[in-house]
Amino acid sequence: MKKTNTQNLQLGIFVILGLLIFVIAVYYIGKQQNLFGNTTQISSVFKNVNGLQLGNNVRFSGVNVGTVKNISILNDTAICVDMIIQNKTLTLIKKNALATISSDGLVGSMIVNILPGEESASEHIQLGDTIKSISKIATADMLTTLNTTNENAALLTADLLKITNAINKGEGLLGALIKDETMATEIKQSISTLQLISKSALQTVTKLNKMIDAIDIKNSVAGVLLNDTISAKKMSFLIESLNQSAIEINEITANFNAFSKELKNNEGALNYVMNDTIFVNHLDSSMKNIDQATEKLNENMEALKHNFLFRRYFRKLERENAKDEKN
Amino acid sequence: MAYLLSLKQNIASFFMEIGEMSFFSLRFFKELFTKPFEFKELLNQCYVMGNKSLFLVGVTGLILGIVFTLQTRPTLMDFGAVAWMPSMISISIVREIGPVIIALICAGRIGSSIGAEIGSMRVTEQIDAMEVSGTNPFKYLVVTRILAATLMLPLLVIFGDFIALIGSAIVENMKGSVSFVLYFNQVFEALTFSDIFPATIKTFFFGFAIGLVGCFKGYTSKKGTAGVGKASNSAVVYTSMLLFIIDFIAVFVTDIFV
Amino acid sequence: MNSKSNKEVLLVKDLFKGFGDNKVLNGFNLSLFEGENLVLMGKSGSGKSVLIKCLVGLMPPDSGSVELLGQDISKLNHSEMNDLRTNVGFLFQGSALYDSMTVRENLEFPLRRHSKKLTEEETDTLVMEALENVGLTHTVDWMPEELSGGMQRRIALARALILKPKIIFYDEPTTGLDPITAKEIILLILKIQEKFKTSSLIITHDVDCARVISNRMLLLLDGINYAEGTFTELSSSNDPKIKAFFK
Repeated sequence: MKKTNTQNLQLGIFVILGLLIFVIAVYYIGKQQNLFGNTTQISSVFKNVNGLQLGNNVRFSGVNVGTVKNISILNDTAICVDMIIQNKTLTLIKKNALATISSDGLVGSMIVNILPGEESASEHIQLGDTIKSISKIATADMLTTLNTTNENAALLTADLLKITNAINKGEGLLGALIKDETMATEIKQSISTLQLISKSALQTVTKLNKMIDAIDIKNSVAGVLLNDTISAKKMSFLIESLNQSAIEINEITANFNAFSKELKNNEGALNYVMNDTIFVNHLDSSMKNIDQATEKLNENMEALKHNFLFRRYFRKLERENAKDEKN
Repeated sequence: MAYLLSLKQNIASFFMEIGEMSFFSLRFFKELFTKPFEFKELLNQCYVMGNKSLFLVGVTGLILGIVFTLQTRPTLMDFGAVAWMPSMISISIVREIGPVIIALICAGRIGSSIGAEIGSMRVTEQIDAMEVSGTNPFKYLVVTRILAATLMLPLLVIFGDFIALIGSAIVENMKGSVSFVLYFNQVFEALTFSDIFPATIKTFFFGFAIGLVGCFKGYTSKKGTAGVGKASNSAVVYTSMLLFIIDFIAVFVTDIFV
Repeated sequence: MNSKSNKEVLLVKDLFKGFGDNKVLNGFNLSLFEGENLVLMGKSGSGKSVLIKCLVGLMPPDSGSVELLGQDISKLNHSEMNDLRTNVGFLFQGSALYDSMTVRENLEFPLRRHSKKLTEEETDTLVMEALENVGLTHTVDWMPEELSGGMQRRIALARALILKPKIIFYDEPTTGLDPITAKEIILLILKIQEKFKTSSLIITHDVDCARVISNRMLLLLDGINYAEGTFTELSSSNDPKIKAFFK
């Protein structure tokens, strides 16, 4: 009989332990679903519950406080969600609290999130209260918005394409400006002329310098020149005007450089247009100046050649040139 | 022709066996509700099936939990979803793997021993001796065993599931940094009544199937030692098959109602 | 050796029993008188075991009647049958001890089943008494697997006797035992028969056993009681079929 008694004792322990585990498991699962203990039911009406299910968690500012108990469709735009909330958190949820439905994680289940209202209300919710809901942008809504944006973008692109085409074809003021080929050619020509002028100007100045050197050192005519007052007056005038020409040419070149820099740095059509008039004016005046300077220089040179004092020098120069060519 | 004939015979004997087993289970229910009740023998059988299988179930459950967790971890790690381990493991163990594996283990442990025991009692005329001694052997042997198996298997599954989850928690605790409290918190968070109740109800049927087939095969075993071996062997085979069929039906039904 | 009376404790009339096409019993008749040892001899497979199972209601006969202690067993319900069975002991061919129980539990089993009002002490006394009768009191807490074949047979005998039945059926009491042990069992059966004045029906194919035990013999052949008489009568018969039994 003793054997039977120990057996029964062990069996009893076995059964009770098993049942205990089961009951504890059931209790904890139930606790998660707030089926036991002090709870209160509140509800909220949504337009769209986004696949919320019975038993989904209800969170208050991110803390689990209850579960969804029932979901019922009131009409085509209203869905009532009943929630069970733990009594201990009930006092924290005010009457102006807002309920939203969101997803727990990327692919997680849906949850009801209760957010505290913006203004602090003194009264907390009670059994059977309905709190307001706000609908966060659901994925579907987001896609709709995105779609509109896309459509707008498409329209915008089409317009832009039209404008670009028009510009290319040279329609409109802007187009005309951008597409004016003659102007571009003129500018090019001006630049190359300018280059030529500055080259010749440079040559002249070099020659002049050499001449002056020759005057001072090689032929020792400086003294003669200096003593000859008439010649000297004429000479000083000549050199002065030559100097002026050189300065003017310099100025033009500087102007021109600045302009080309600007052109390089700001390649926009708008900039081009803005600089346009100034440029043209500049260019015009430069041309005039250059013309004048060249004229004057030529005159000076001619005068210099015919001056008896320099005649020998020029002949010598011609001879040397001929010598160089022979060699 | 001979093949067709034997096939026909096989099919016929299959249906005959099904029919016999149905009558057998019908008799079980009839005898279950008529006096006298062999309560003492029922307790004894509960002890033999429950307590004596606990070690086996415990070891199986522990290894099941550990291995299952170790095998699943890398896959979830690829997805960066290791945090889902507790909920995933617990749901699959409680809903499906726990009940089925433990029922299969018990089919081997309990089903075969019932088949062999009753089979050998039949062969050595112990069943006749019992009847002559004024005992209804069906009540004394069959009803108590089927009932004990039906009652004990759910408990064994509960123990097995629990130990499997402990095993899984140990792995998670060592491999990841999941504390036991967090693990079981997540487990209870993941589990719902629709996981635990259908799974538990299912195990009653598993237990019934194990007891029924074991007793049927033993009780109707033919004479001779070969008959005993065949009884215990076919008890395990038929039970295992039946377990999966019941599982399929249970999942099907659960799917409809839950 | 014999305290024969003419009161019939068992009467079998026109018993038929078959399994499919195999007709085992074809109108078998038998009567067992109070206090006698009737030996029923038959070849293996001649339906001896089937017959004895029909007699105690383990197997329903196809037709014919079995009257046990004046009651027709086919007309009894389950509980009446159980009551009747308290007066019938049965020694099974392979002893049929319950392997999962100790010797004591084996012996207690019929006691508890049939007479539930016994106290612990009374049960214990009866168990020890029964074991004393077969000389195995020291094995009371052994398991059947620890016993030798002969011991098992004796415990089985003790179990059959524990309710002090009026009739005992022996199904091949000496099969599977060596001649010496068989002899011991035979002598034990005789001793008990004398002590309790029971009527016995012994089914055997062992000639030695039949010779020692029998008051009267029946030969079962082709499903009927082929011949009847004392051992000496039958063993000196000229019928070749009867002679075949005594070779």
